[in-house]
Amino acid sequence: MLYVVLFFLIFSLYLYVVLGGADYGAGIVELFSSEENQKITKKTVYRVMGPVWEANHIWIIILIVILWIAFPVYYNIMVVHLHIPITIVLLGVTLRGVAFVFRHYDAVIDNTQKLYDSMFKISSLITPIFLGIVFGGLISGKIHITEDISTLSFYEAFILPWFNTFSIMVGLFFAALCAFLSSVLLIGESKEGKKNIYVRKAAIATIVVFVIGLITFSYGYLSGIVFVKDFLKSPYAMICVAVSALLLLPLWKKITQGDIIWSRFFAGLQVFLILLAALVSHFPDVIITQEGSISLVENIAPESVINVLGISLIIGGTVILPGLFHLLKSFKMIKILEQNNNPLI
Amino acid sequence: MIENIDAARLQMAFTLIFHIVFACIGMVMPFFMVVSHYKWLKTREQVYLTLTKSWQKGVAIFFVTGAVSGTALSFELGLLWPEFMKHAGPIIGMPFSLEGAAFFVEAVALGFYLYGWNKLPEKFHWFTGVIIGISGVMSGILVVAANGWMNAPSGFDYINGEFLNVDPVQAMLNPAWFTQALHMTLAAFTATGFAVAGIHAYQVYRKRKIELHTKAFKIAITFGAIAAILQPISGDLSAKDIAKRQPVKLAAMEAHYDTEKGAPLFIGGIVNNETKEVKYKIEFPGMLSFLAFSDFDAEVKGLNDFPEDEQPNVPMVHYAFQTMVGIGTLLLAVGVLYFISLKRKRWLSNNKFWLLFVLMAPLGFIALEAGWIVTEVGRQPWIIHKIMRTKDAVTPMPGIVFSFYTYIAVYTVLSIAVTWLMLRQIKVLNQSNI
Repeated sequence: MLYVVLFFLIFSLYLYVVLGGADYGAGIVELFSSEENQKITKKTVYRVMGPVWEANHIWIIILIVILWIAFPVYYNIMVVHLHIPITIVLLGVTLRGVAFVFRHYDAVIDNTQKLYDSMFKISSLITPIFLGIVFGGLISGKIHITEDISTLSFYEAFILPWFNTFSIMVGLFFAALCAFLSSVLLIGESKEGKKNIYVRKAAIATIVVFVIGLITFSYGYLSGIVFVKDFLKSPYAMICVAVSALLLLPLWKKITQGDIIWSRFFAGLQVFLILLAALVSHFPDVIITQEGSISLVENIAPESVINVLGISLIIGGTVILPGLFHLLKSFKMIKILEQNNNPLI
Repeated sequence: MIENIDAARLQMAFTLIFHIVFACIGMVMPFFMVVSHYKWLKTREQVYLTLTKSWQKGVAIFFVTGAVSGTALSFELGLLWPEFMKHAGPIIGMPFSLEGAAFFVEAVALGFYLYGWNKLPEKFHWFTGVIIGISGVMSGILVVAANGWMNAPSGFDYINGEFLNVDPVQAMLNPAWFTQALHMTLAAFTATGFAVAGIHAYQVYRKRKIELHTKAFKIAITFGAIAAILQPISGDLSAKDIAKRQPVKLAAMEAHYDTEKGAPLFIGGIVNNETKEVKYKIEFPGMLSFLAFSDFDAEVKGLNDFPEDEQPNVPMVHYAFQTMVGIGTLLLAVGVLYFISLKRKRWLSNNKFWLLFVLMAPLGFIALEAGWIVTEVGRQPWIIHKIMRTKDAVTPMPGIVFSFYTYIAVYTVLSIAVTWLMLRQIKVLNQSNI
């Protein structure tokens, strides 16, 4: 059952990164667009994300619930030492969610739209950066684990674990990845003649991802970050990264051919490989502290809990996934038939 | 400077108070929506379609606000109470994971419903609305079951400070889950029913779109009134349950200091926790014994029989309890009046009738929040009743007070924004042609 739970943990992490990531990315793409393109993007984003964005963001709840139920030690370290960036993520999620809904459901269209727009765009950028910082913090090797936390200064215990160059680089990397995912998604959703906007964005995002990734790794290697050293030593991780980089070729080919499904598939696969590389290089020691690594699978909840959770997840999965799939599918098909029908008017 | 523990408690209280309002509306309004939708399908009267579409916007806005504040809460449990979650997380994980599933179903159904107009088969489209409502109520029940565990910890053996032999199913089906979940579900229907009815009653009172708002009022108030009328039965079950499991909470609710047989029920009164007296109260002899144990002569333990450091804040719990019961009784009476009005149609043309319901609008939610204060403050000083103290669960990170201020600022702005958006919805609704 532990493997079922682990599967759902990684499955929801992956889906959150891809679906939630594309969702955040949409705001980032909008932020870095000219005024005219912003309007187009706003409409496209609403069409694409509208029916599914709530579902996209539930993955993080599933993720966090699995963590606290099955891996309480891991969860405890995270919420104690990374309290501040997690709080910022939460505020970002809150403001972004309400801004998204307000700007589409407000009965009156007037200048307040500008306020919703900037709230949406800015929180779309800040939230993934801090999500990345949280992940970076867990692997940065800056967390101190002691019996008595009061022996540490406030800075050592609650700031340094996340406020360090490496973690911040990981944060920026994740935000760039979101923008990449979203650009590829939006290419397929935009109307003829507007595709080039997103093709250009996807190209820029790819370069940014690559450059930030390179800087992060060089910095990590030079300043002796354990995670980076192990990553570079792990053949599996290197293979994942290499394949992910090579996939850029078919991805661009499919994008230029206008093949929506395959270009999305390749982009999703790339992100999956990057995530896999990050996990595999250190698994199961997914927290790296100053005192050494903490294993995910050795610090788990009692077996009875894992069993019940595994069964709940299997049942939940069989109920929800077909519904979700159907939701994605039916609106995709309908959308082609009725492009401009706004259901709320 | 506020102590860390107090700041953490205030932040938790504040976010819960906020979340509960949105969660309840998001949970109950879909039912109003599907009733109106049903009537549209049945009668094809345009007014029901307009109403359904306007309510669905309300559902969407409240669902999202409830969802994001719920996401924040799922993290806050750990951020503020890491020691609690480290031990309790695995034990009460089951209701939370099922709640995650129910919530997911709700989000998927909402996607279908909001975007399915003229696209899905009519009956299936309507049915997705029903699923929104049912899964919302399921979510609510499951979360309350987790809270029930804090009041009635079960499903594990507590040996030398360790939680052993964990049985998550038994933890979920703890002795408090049913009474609490029933009470809360009815409360959600009462509060939302009266609030929504009150808003539409105000529109009728101001003579705007009388037909539309009267129809809306009737749908909402029917749910609210029925729930208000059923609530005393559930309240009685809860009281008997608490008398058995958490006698100190019951004593605090009643500000009952001395252990006695044939204990009287106090209504009103000013509590003085120093002198252990309640002044200016109305007494009903033997009633407390009867309500708690179905026996006028039963012994009810008083606060003086419990150690000082195991007692909650008595005045706060007592006043909150009085507020809840007082409002509950009032809403029940007004609910009965509504059903009488169905026979006496001329009441509907009397503006005072509508004004009465306008005045009732906020009361359900005040009672609901008061009820949660009774449950939560009444459990103190424990976070897990008789197992873990709240002060031992709080985060070691100092300066929570700043996080508390940030949350206050953000949530206050959010509340104002949502209220303002709702006013705009109503304004646009009144300008529409139907």
